[in-house]
Amino acid sequence: MDNPELSNQIKVQRAIRNITQEELATHIGVTRKTINTIETGKFVPSTILAIRMARFFEISVEELFTLVEKE
Amino acid sequence: METSLIERLDKSRYNLLKWTTIGWAIWFATIIGNNFEKGHIFNTIATFIGLLGSTIWAINFIKYRKFVRELRWNRRLDKALNNEVHVFNVHRSFQIGYLTMIVTSSMGMLVSIFIQIPALLVTELILYFGLLSSMISLLYYNRD
Repeated sequence: MDNPELSNQIKVQRAIRNITQEELATHIGVTRKTINTIETGKFVPSTILAIRMARFFEISVEELFTLVEKE
Repeated sequence: METSLIERLDKSRYNLLKWTTIGWAIWFATIIGNNFEKGHIFNTIATFIGLLGSTIWAINFIKYRKFVRELRWNRRLDKALNNEVHVFNVHRSFQIGYLTMIVTSSMGMLVSIFIQIPALLVTELILYFGLLSSMISLLYYNRD
């Protein structure tokens, strides 16, 4: 499930809002480990989870998850 | 409050799985070991260790089943703990267990060309390594 083509802004968004992975996990309804695996790019979340996270941060899914363009 | 509850339950589930794995590893290893005639003392010690392992396994397995059953009463906690990453990890660990079973049975077939091995021993080995690899890989994927 590792995907080097996908980058995310979860860590940045968390820093802006000053919240921990655990706090984000509670709001989204998952465990802290799940947030950690998504944040570090080890797991690509489902569309539902991606939308939930984007809604929480009040940004679009594409702002939160970006495809890394290969040359 | 709720945050710590999810994390606490996640940690509890991990610990229950860890001790179930340890219990299984000890208990079934002694069952396999008893297939070999090593003398009275060896068998007595193996039986004692096996009893200890089976107790650890049984207690933690019952606790784990109870944990899963109680979790069903709270849909939100159930969804949080059995989220998509956990389900993905369970599927991955099952795949590893399945592959290990194929490899173990292939090894059994290969060895049986040269020496005669009892079918019961091979069956026990397949079950032992299949389940053990599955549980260890789930612990590995769910590690902190």
